[in-house]
Amino acid sequence: MARGRVNPMTLSTVWHSLQSICREMRHVVDRTSQNYLIAQLHDVSIGIWDGTGRTVAIPIGLSTQYLGGKLSVEYVLNKFKGNLNPGDVILVNDPYKGYCCHLPDWGFYRPIFYQGELLFFTMCRAHQMDTGGSFPGGYFPNAYDIHAEGMCIPGIKVMEGDREREDVMELILNNVRWPQGVRIDNYAQIASLRVCEQRVTALLDKYGRETVQACLEEMFDRTERTVRATIEKIPDGVYYGEAATDDDGTELDVPVWVRCKLTVRGDTIEVDFAASDKQRKGYVNCVYNTTFSVTLSAIFMFMDPSLGEYHNEGSLRPITILAPPGSVVNAQYPATVGASPVNMGHQIIESVVAAMSQAMPERAIACWGKRYGHYIFGTDPRTNEKYVVTTFDMDGGAGAVRGFDGYEGATSIGTLGEVNKGNVEEVEMRFPWRCLRWELAQDTCGAGKWRGAAGIHWQYENIGSDAGMATGSSDGEKVRAAGALGGEPTPNSRAFLTRQGETTRLNSHRLYQLKTGDIIHKISGGGAGVGDPAERDPEKVRLDVINEFIGVEKARDMYKVVLHPETLQVDWEQTHKLRHGGAGAKEAGARAT
Amino acid sequence: MLKTAIDVGGTFTDCLVLDEQGQIHQFKSPTTPEDPALGLINVLTKTAAFFKMDLTEFMSNVGLFIAHGSTLATNALLTGRIAKVGQMTTKGFRDHIEIRRGYKNIRTSRFNVFVPPYKPLVPRYLRIPVEERILYTGEILTPLKEEDVYAAVKKFREDKVEAVAICFLHSYINPAHEKRALEICRAEMNGTYVTASHEVLPVFREYERFSTTVVSAAVGPITERYLAALSERLKGLGFRGTLYLVQGGGLVQSVEESARRAVSLIGSGPAAAPSGAIRLGQCIGTNNLVSVDVGGTSFDICLIQNGAIPTTDYNWVGDERVAMKLVDVQSIGAGGGSIAWIDSLGLLRVGPQSAGADPGPACYGKGGSQPTVTDADLVLGFVPADYFLGGEIPLKPDLAEKAIRSVAEPLGLDVPTAAKTIFTTVNSLMADKMIEVSTKRGYDVRDFALVVGGGAGPVHSAHLAELLEIPTVIVPRYAAAYSAFGMLNMELGRHFSRSIIARMKLLDLERVNQLFLDMEAEAREVLSEIGIARQDTVLSRSVDMRYVGQFHEVEVTDVPLGTLGPAEFEKITEAFHVRHKDLYTFNMREREVEFLNLRLKATARHETLKLAEIPEATHEISAALKRRRRVLWSLERGFEETAVYDGTRLAAGHKISGPAIIEEPATTVVIPESYVCTVDGVKNYILHRR
Repeated sequence: MARGRVNPMTLSTVWHSLQSICREMRHVVDRTSQNYLIAQLHDVSIGIWDGTGRTVAIPIGLSTQYLGGKLSVEYVLNKFKGNLNPGDVILVNDPYKGYCCHLPDWGFYRPIFYQGELLFFTMCRAHQMDTGGSFPGGYFPNAYDIHAEGMCIPGIKVMEGDREREDVMELILNNVRWPQGVRIDNYAQIASLRVCEQRVTALLDKYGRETVQACLEEMFDRTERTVRATIEKIPDGVYYGEAATDDDGTELDVPVWVRCKLTVRGDTIEVDFAASDKQRKGYVNCVYNTTFSVTLSAIFMFMDPSLGEYHNEGSLRPITILAPPGSVVNAQYPATVGASPVNMGHQIIESVVAAMSQAMPERAIACWGKRYGHYIFGTDPRTNEKYVVTTFDMDGGAGAVRGFDGYEGATSIGTLGEVNKGNVEEVEMRFPWRCLRWELAQDTCGAGKWRGAAGIHWQYENIGSDAGMATGSSDGEKVRAAGALGGEPTPNSRAFLTRQGETTRLNSHRLYQLKTGDIIHKISGGGAGVGDPAERDPEKVRLDVINEFIGVEKARDMYKVVLHPETLQVDWEQTHKLRHGGAGAKEAGARAT
Repeated sequence: MLKTAIDVGGTFTDCLVLDEQGQIHQFKSPTTPEDPALGLINVLTKTAAFFKMDLTEFMSNVGLFIAHGSTLATNALLTGRIAKVGQMTTKGFRDHIEIRRGYKNIRTSRFNVFVPPYKPLVPRYLRIPVEERILYTGEILTPLKEEDVYAAVKKFREDKVEAVAICFLHSYINPAHEKRALEICRAEMNGTYVTASHEVLPVFREYERFSTTVVSAAVGPITERYLAALSERLKGLGFRGTLYLVQGGGLVQSVEESARRAVSLIGSGPAAAPSGAIRLGQCIGTNNLVSVDVGGTSFDICLIQNGAIPTTDYNWVGDERVAMKLVDVQSIGAGGGSIAWIDSLGLLRVGPQSAGADPGPACYGKGGSQPTVTDADLVLGFVPADYFLGGEIPLKPDLAEKAIRSVAEPLGLDVPTAAKTIFTTVNSLMADKMIEVSTKRGYDVRDFALVVGGGAGPVHSAHLAELLEIPTVIVPRYAAAYSAFGMLNMELGRHFSRSIIARMKLLDLERVNQLFLDMEAEAREVLSEIGIARQDTVLSRSVDMRYVGQFHEVEVTDVPLGTLGPAEFEKITEAFHVRHKDLYTFNMREREVEFLNLRLKATARHETLKLAEIPEATHEISAALKRRRRVLWSLERGFEETAVYDGTRLAAGHKISGPAIIEEPATTVVIPESYVCTVDGVKNYILHRR
């Protein structure tokens, strides 16, 4: 579109208004929902698309859930052609037909009409506390097929003319556990759509339909130009990255691999996942939408950070994503997909980040601590009510980036830190569990010139009745995620169960029966490092030892820094020998022991 | 006795003096960032001279002195000039302030991973675990191991820690362990600033409570020292009255109380203005107001409904989470000094970077070369080159034009058009923020009157009102000393809170009543310490509620005093349903409700500030006409000759139709064509939409 067609002031206002509408929507959900995942951990996404499904505003949310929301919008548009009316709300969670990620993520869509014309779509997608299926929570291995993972909802209208279709909602809520809770969250989501419609309509009233639409074209074009300009600066070439999950939960202890081939050509990027493993019986499979979403998210990290909240349709145009049908990154019906956001989504991001870090070493990024979650479901003896609890509290922190150590506490590369951890006081009040320990764990950060953030030491005791536990959202016990430029990959995670004084190992992707008094013990790996650890400033290594992020041995073995065991001062001479070789190098290592 | 209010702002230190006849006098002096007390003494000297007294004589006549502690506590935190803090925590939980619930990108996009990791106020080696454990019920699971406390004290001493924060789990419900540890520290570490989480913020959710407590410890010593020095200095000047400080929560408090809970001074900068706005609203008979303060670098907004100052506990100060209730003033980096620039998408952006006071806007001629909002205001003809701050700062239009050209050319615009674009862009930013603040709470901004302060406020306010269709704008007589004016209207007192986490069915009414009684007793004690008698203490209650299962609460203010029984709770529950719907478009009457925190606000009874009347207009408005100036009101019409009035010659009842400009010594009031301005009986400018 011709430059200057839109008044710069109007453009700027419209663009920013669309972003702030999204933030307002999230605020509504934040304040009113009741599910731990949504309200506390921010497992929720919102966005605005135009009437043809082009991405308009995606400033906040989880990459897996909605960057590919346009595919769902296109589906809704086609399915309800000629049958969309103001006040309709459509619910979709089907990963195959509806391009969702996995069944617990329920997306509510609302068309926004203006003067009788369909101009926008808005969506709010969030992880429900339950979606039916064999076990609560959604992240459990070994389902027979996707139908055993939960209720599979194609696009259906749950509201018409702003009135709930009560029979339809009743059918849906009759098929989930905790229907009262799910209802609150659904209301919260629907309320956010209503807020969006009011605000977008006000924007159209103020600037007129034509002006707003002209702004959209200008927004898309400008974003596209800027993304292309950034890609143009990357040397043309082919870069590779790979990552794996521990196993698929069915065929145990066999890692499942994602392999990407990333080709930079002029101002375009093509990401081809052809070398990835075939789709599995187990629940780690991703549908195309998830692969599409998280690949974009990984690439966005390497773009100009000031583009962050401005990404839209234009950002998608220069990027092509190829995922062969029948592979683990483009699974076909009726494959199970329960763990797709974490157990494959994270690996997709990790593989792309690894490839991009080679293409742009000046902006190298190391992978974050692997997800180490679980779901526990049981009955709370205090109220006799059933509960399900999940958390990100035990996930290790961020990977390093070139120039900075990893961000402590930041959680889940799949969400880029959008999810939060909780409060012990809130958990103890709400669930029959008592926290014994929740701290950073020593020697769990990936070493590097810039080191990854630490992992977490997490310990809880079951003071309720017997319960079930699914470690489906755990990973990283056998596999490690890549560092960059010679940095150490993410350290492995491990978990234990103590029952009546006896301690046994727990594994990822399993189901367990828990008893009263059981203690769960988790030590997660932190983020990976960037750059050779032996180039890290010895003074920083010393501070890490004093602060008990790393022990004296790791300082010596990984970082080649020798500290006096008593004073913890740097022994510069021995350190120099160890780092720069020479006759005394070996001896220096031995003496420091 | 005289009442004095001092606002140490970023650029100017303002002083307002209320004399015995009810007249308010306004003085200004540049702020001295190196030693703020110097600027304070300068302005007081200026003030004393006006009263034909020397400084000592003047000060001995001041009965009440209200000042900000804000710049100090907030800036100490923002610039890292804080105390070396040691933290004592429950064993097994020493990293809450570093894990910080995983909050990462507080102010940037999540796609920006190139952000330096957060550096906690207390390094890990100074976070010392202590064996003890209390449960959410208040029961003691593991008794306090005092040896651990003594060991921590020893470590703190060795490391020369200047402040200690004691942070134990569930101390909001049973503070016994924190109290004992506090006792030991105070006995063993004489002179060290020691505080505990139950003293600072006795409500549940440990990350927020610990973070706030650590902040309080970090700014504690510097606050204590500053307040002691300030008291000394004022005493040395002959002051024998009472010194009060503005708290971030919107009340004023004594020096001792402020030092004890140093975090309460955080955010006090913008906390005063809303009290002034409420008083001004009374001049036109409304208590639904949007108060805006346009300074050099920031634009502060506060939405006041039914005369109540809103507060929030979701605050970030710099990178620190402060969960204390602060006046809910939302801020964006947009003000007179905000810099216009072009981003990588080719969009014109304004702020948040600011040219500040030094070098200031390009037109100040102090070396600034980037175009600012003030430069645009000057080029457009809204502000005078020769009468900016009454002529104290002569502005240079050529420098303003040159600076604006740097953004005009890449955008393909001429200088006046670019200036207009900067002007409208910054107005839109401000207007968007105002919408966010009002619609987020379910209020239509058009139902509110706009009260505007700050030097640049009256230049932009009517245009903001026009954009948002706000019918009435109040430009107060003391617009340029807006914050200080607010202080003269503030209430003295404190907020109290207690957690009681229970669903309606299980709510122990006896305990609720007891907790309210406890807080009321504590409130009376705190107020009586500063000489407020029981009969002069005003109490108001509120409760935080949610639907069972939700994670966030809604504050319900319709809570009667006295003993609460089932009937009262039914009414409170009904009020909650209504409020939930107002806020979030829906409610769920069939769902059980849950109570979280009980809150009490205790204030000293206070009389409405009397504003002195000005004489009725006896002369024609033309007698106040100062000059005509070319102003660019609209791009289509180009520059137009516009009437400029001398504000000092206007009297009660004068009416000026836009387009027009009024020049006051400390500000310029811009009246667009769509508004008519009336001078009211106390010299406020009231603008009404035609």
